[in-house]
Amino acid sequence: MSDPATPDGFSVSRRSFLKSFGASAAVAATAQLESVAQELQKANAENVVGPGTVPITLNVNGKPLKLEVEPRVTLLEALRNHSPLTGSKEVCDRATCGACTVLIDNEPIYSCSKLAIDSQGKAITTIEGLSQDGKLSKVQEAFISEDALMCGYCTPGFVMSVTALLRRVPQPSADEVRHSCSGNLCRCGTYPRIMHAAMKAAGVASTSKTEVIPYAKLA
Amino acid sequence: MKSFQYANALSTGSARDLVGKDGAYLAGGNDLLAMMKEYLVTPPILVNIKSLPGMDKIDSSGGAWTIGSLVTVAQLEDSPVVKQTFPGLQQAAAEVGSRQIRNVATVGGNLAQHSRCWYFRHRDVPCLKKGGDICYARRGENKYHSLFTGNSCISPVVSNLAVALAALNATVVIQRGGQTVKMSIPDFYAPAWSNPQSHNALEGTDLISHVEIPAESRRSAYIQMSEKSVFDWALVSCAASAKVDGGRLSQARIFLGAVSPVPYEAKAANDSLEGKTLDEAAANQAADLLLAKAHPHEHNGYKIPIARTLIRRTLMQLNA
Amino acid sequence: MPSWPEERKYIGSHATRIDAPAKVSGAAKYPSDVQPQNWLYGMILRSKWAKAKVTKINLDPALKVPGIKAAVLAPAVSERGNDVTLRYYGEEIAGVAGTSKQACLDALRAIEVEANELPYVVREDDAKADDAARVWDEAPNLSRANVRQQGDDLDKAFGECAAVVEGFFTTPVQIHHPLETHGNTVSVTDDGVTCWASTQGITSVQQDLATGLKVPQNQVRVITEFMGGGFGAKFGPGVEGVIAGLLSKQARAPVKLMLTRFDQALAVGNRPSSFQKMKLGATSDGKLHAFSMDNYGTAGIGAGASSAGGGGGAGLRAPYIYHIPNFRVSQQTVAVNAGSSRSFRAPGCPPASFGMEGIMDELAVKMGIDPLEFRINNDPFEIRQKEYKFGAEKFGWKEKYKKPGSSPGPIKTGVGLACASWGGGGQGTQAEAEIHSDGSIEIRCGTQDLGTGTKTLIALIASDLLGLTPDQITVRVGDTQYPPSGGSGGSTTAASVSPAIYDTCTKALAELQQQSGVADARGANWKDACKKLGPNPLVVHGRWQQGLSSSNTGGVQFAEVEVDTDTGFVKVKKVVVVQDGGLIVSKLTCESQLNGGVIMGIGYALYEERYMDKTSGVLLNPNFETYKLTGLADVPEIEVYFLDMPERGVIGIGEPATIPTAAAIGNAVANALGVRVYSIPITPQRVLAALGKDKASA
Repeated sequence: MSDPATPDGFSVSRRSFLKSFGASAAVAATAQLESVAQELQKANAENVVGPGTVPITLNVNGKPLKLEVEPRVTLLEALRNHSPLTGSKEVCDRATCGACTVLIDNEPIYSCSKLAIDSQGKAITTIEGLSQDGKLSKVQEAFISEDALMCGYCTPGFVMSVTALLRRVPQPSADEVRHSCSGNLCRCGTYPRIMHAAMKAAGVASTSKTEVIPYAKLA
Repeated sequence: MKSFQYANALSTGSARDLVGKDGAYLAGGNDLLAMMKEYLVTPPILVNIKSLPGMDKIDSSGGAWTIGSLVTVAQLEDSPVVKQTFPGLQQAAAEVGSRQIRNVATVGGNLAQHSRCWYFRHRDVPCLKKGGDICYARRGENKYHSLFTGNSCISPVVSNLAVALAALNATVVIQRGGQTVKMSIPDFYAPAWSNPQSHNALEGTDLISHVEIPAESRRSAYIQMSEKSVFDWALVSCAASAKVDGGRLSQARIFLGAVSPVPYEAKAANDSLEGKTLDEAAANQAADLLLAKAHPHEHNGYKIPIARTLIRRTLMQLNA
Repeated sequence: MPSWPEERKYIGSHATRIDAPAKVSGAAKYPSDVQPQNWLYGMILRSKWAKAKVTKINLDPALKVPGIKAAVLAPAVSERGNDVTLRYYGEEIAGVAGTSKQACLDALRAIEVEANELPYVVREDDAKADDAARVWDEAPNLSRANVRQQGDDLDKAFGECAAVVEGFFTTPVQIHHPLETHGNTVSVTDDGVTCWASTQGITSVQQDLATGLKVPQNQVRVITEFMGGGFGAKFGPGVEGVIAGLLSKQARAPVKLMLTRFDQALAVGNRPSSFQKMKLGATSDGKLHAFSMDNYGTAGIGAGASSAGGGGGAGLRAPYIYHIPNFRVSQQTVAVNAGSSRSFRAPGCPPASFGMEGIMDELAVKMGIDPLEFRINNDPFEIRQKEYKFGAEKFGWKEKYKKPGSSPGPIKTGVGLACASWGGGGQGTQAEAEIHSDGSIEIRCGTQDLGTGTKTLIALIASDLLGLTPDQITVRVGDTQYPPSGGSGGSTTAASVSPAIYDTCTKALAELQQQSGVADARGANWKDACKKLGPNPLVVHGRWQQGLSSSNTGGVQFAEVEVDTDTGFVKVKKVVVVQDGGLIVSKLTCESQLNGGVIMGIGYALYEERYMDKTSGVLLNPNFETYKLTGLADVPEIEVYFLDMPERGVIGIGEPATIPTAAAIGNAVANALGVRVYSIPITPQRVLAALGKDKASA
């Protein structure tokens, strides 16, 4: 896979526009520039692109990710195969398991079933984008303390789903967690611990019935 | 997927021009991309229609309700006014797939989605619905298939919204070659009753723009049942609505999903409830009438008692 | 004789998983994530015929697809030259590697393959017929019966019974479906081979990859720092690993070849099915006296002698855990044109438990004996007898157990129980500790952590032995450059690794104390003792030793269900697990294993079934849409009681956890309904059929 680095044709022309106006005229020109930009964008909008690679810009975790990909590349493939962001996992590629869950404008979606080219102009958050300056989020901390993971392959997807739910419903009931996070599957069977982690992150107490009994104490 | 060109349409006219003869409209993309990943369809161009104006709102200002075809299923699920006015529709929306699917799935896409029959969806099975010679399900694994059909294909319609909207007497509004065409939900699916290769009435460059629900003060309810608790296709679903006045029903509409290529209705069942007070006996009678023509196959006879139960429970919810 | 410390702070504690931060942040790099320089994407072309004789394969068109750097035949295909018979839908034919997934997709479709289709058979009952199409020309599909018997006259013994019951129990083919599919990222260079493998056995990959690529084993390095689940299916590089290696060699670049979910369902293993015809009798004192079983099942094309407890054949453990003086067990494997089976979490035991514990309940009910008492009266394992009594009290068995079918409907409740037995134990691990003068310590061991918590186990043991905390210990596993362990299967890892860590740390501590002159270098003295080390770190090697681990565990589970008799829907309300496993090293990871086993057992009981289509020969549900895994909302309340037996040392509990769940649920459903569903998965269809409400038609 080659490095993703592409000139954005449109922004280059904007820059050269400004240069041609000179700095003093730039302010007055900006307003005119915006409407020109909108016109250009509208004209470009119905352009047919592909089937070969197309330059796209994805807003991922607050930063632009510039790629050259075919229209048929999914957002998940763009992340996993064309960038170092391998936290989102490919497990089914058919919108049935949730391991590829990312947030688009704060809503969880299956990135395996969204084209990369169709993901532009929105705020994409992946698992890598949840921690601030290396500090894990509340949901991530809860997953650790409640041992809501085993092999960990479903974990990024679940963390994204729980995060999205708590942003929308800060104090969900257990049924709300089940309803909203049932789009994520786990084969190792960490569901009970995930429920605990979700409730813990929401600040709701929950108990599990696990006891270690010394065998000698049995009748 | 096979490679394709891509364009964003800004008007229904240019969408039509761009999609041409063999292209596909891209809304949510759940169904389309899944079909393409199996190479069941190979459109040379995908036309993104999510920027088309005026198709993304739920609007009741004009008396009748219009729901734009680009409204997501999650928006229906989350809408307090939909929940209050059309509880059956809200319940149907809440059970579509998973939250991740509902966030991108559109009303139009949900109605237009193709069969989920595992023979149809299999990349290497040349089934009747895909232009092949035989319906593999008829002689094979048919536990998820139809009880009612007018043709040799026994794959059922699986759209939750179709069943709920049918019960609400909704109209599908289609842009066809620059003209507006309206049809009821039963008419929208009617071609699939008789034509094994059909899923619905959409032809060529047709585009669903809205769904209209008349303001008829109906009570509505929807229940589905699956093998798993959540995020599983319904084995059977049932939607019912009726006007209720002093405990008596009128203009009842009961539809079954996942048992027929169309949301299935029997006029006699609806008529049997006219003017009746709803009780278990009336509900059971309606169920018997609705199921009278059920023709089970080797593995799906169990859907009949499930349907009977769901019909009864859905009707009783109207009373609640 | 070595022994675990009496005072245990971290062993048996709630300490969290040490690799959890990497996993929850997305930083953990799995074999499917690594991106070595210039890596290529790899894909496999598979047979679309259930059986066919290949007449032509042409890879050239694939090589002409832009971006494609290599194309190879599957080894079995290239070895057989002109005589290639494909025997199941999904069998490997060829592989391609290229600069993008999209190029590979196009390349696969460009490869020309022609074949003459041959008759095939994909279902067990069809395959058994005398005139069935043969999977292998040289042998009938149904193997010779493997018969074991005890006692002189079985008929007479049945005659002596106060009660006899018969039943025909069936279980389906179950697919492992770990979330990370099978696959590897392989880099073949002149300096050797590096393979990031999603595997349970790095040395098994090293050995077979060396053979497949014709390089010396010591030139193959296998790395598995993380992996996304195996459940018994991931040993060896697989055909896909060797193909990836061949592609890498041809392309002169690393190749990442992971299976798709579609491929995963077809070709990398499954649990054999079972069709168990059983007869069981007891004497009037409630003691089991006579038993007969005729069982057959399929292991796909991998027919072979039946084996009770291993991959390959379809044999079950019978008469399960019971000592019955008179019995005859006859088992056969029937071949079909489908992917071969592989060991799957407690091979042979979940189906054995479903059948045996089911017929045990039938007999108890017929004799008017409480199924709990019936078990205790016949269970030869004292630990399990105590587990039954303890669990029954926690579950409320006496209060909840009612006559079958007596629950008022339409939503009927019922309870059931079943037991497990497993070997576990393990030996042979080696490890090493490296201690630096700044006090930093790294422990290296060539074992695997499948999500089972092996890394954490190592850190907890080292912490207690050295008086440190887990975050002071760096643990590295999953590299053939580390001291070897064994494959992670059979619930042997904990018992094999723990004593090796004990030995390594004990020896390391002794050497540190000797070199530093500090009498007790643990805990507060650690840093000072280490300061006295010279410029070279201290590296100490250790190995497994006797006395710290053992084998043989029991385990019992109780289940409570609700069945909607109007729809057939089964909801599991509660499961109580009582499990022993010797010394618990990590409380959190143990609980997760038990939860996980139960949840997998629920899937086996209610949702999972592989469907083969007899007309087309294809697998109908190679996806998670219609091959259904237990979901979040399907999980009941699970109570876990772990019996701590430190005197038995470490044993291991990954497998017993999943053995009896389906059996307990099956018994609970029968108790609720008053009639039994003899087949799993217990779908609404099967419940309604058992209730006589399913009206089928021709």
